[in-house]
Amino acid sequence: MTMALFTGSVDKLCCAGVILSGAAADDMDVDIFVLLMGAHAFKKENVGDKGTMAELAHKEEEYRASLERLNVKPWMEFFKEAKEMTNVKIHICGLAGKIWGGEKLEDFNELADDICGIGEYITSAQEADVHLFI
Amino acid sequence: MEANELKAMNIDSTVDARGTACPGPLLAAKKEIANITSGQVMEVLSADEATKRDIPKWASKKGHEYLGVVEEDGYFRIYLKKG
Repeated sequence: MTMALFTGSVDKLCCAGVILSGAAADDMDVDIFVLLMGAHAFKKENVGDKGTMAELAHKEEEYRASLERLNVKPWMEFFKEAKEMTNVKIHICGLAGKIWGGEKLEDFNELADDICGIGEYITSAQEADVHLFI
Repeated sequence: MEANELKAMNIDSTVDARGTACPGPLLAAKKEIANITSGQVMEVLSADEATKRDIPKWASKKGHEYLGVVEEDGYFRIYLKKG
């Protein structure tokens, strides 16, 4: 599976994490390409940041209370667990990284595996059975 | 299998995933099935309605045998035999 992770919003990142968990349960190989806004969420200094929502922002309180009641983990935990269970590689788009002041792999959280170009994403998407843009 | 047959079976491993919502029970099942051997029976406890459909589909793809489900008060017992 190939996932283009454009979003940097916590609601969509949570959704991506749930899908990733399903792929992990299925032992799928997954390549995640972290694009523009996603790279902001993956910057080291933004780990643990409460973040913002892309949709239904006026219902944020209800959303966050429900996640807590349902014992839903923060989005990064889904990604971490999936990486432990299956072959998940997380690639940070070089341009996106630069936009948010990240030049090197060390500028991003521990989930990031490398910094790559768009050609690699296109090749991966061409070869994947499942391709998602989030 | 019928509920009484399922409940009478020897269970080799029980995973209690009632404290988590989807995808928690599926991930818990995936992790625990690695700890039992082929032919052994695992029981997954889930309070998530979706798990009832998720686990049988996952099991058949992964070569495990889905034995059935028993509905308890507020949760489900889902039985699998490792392939």
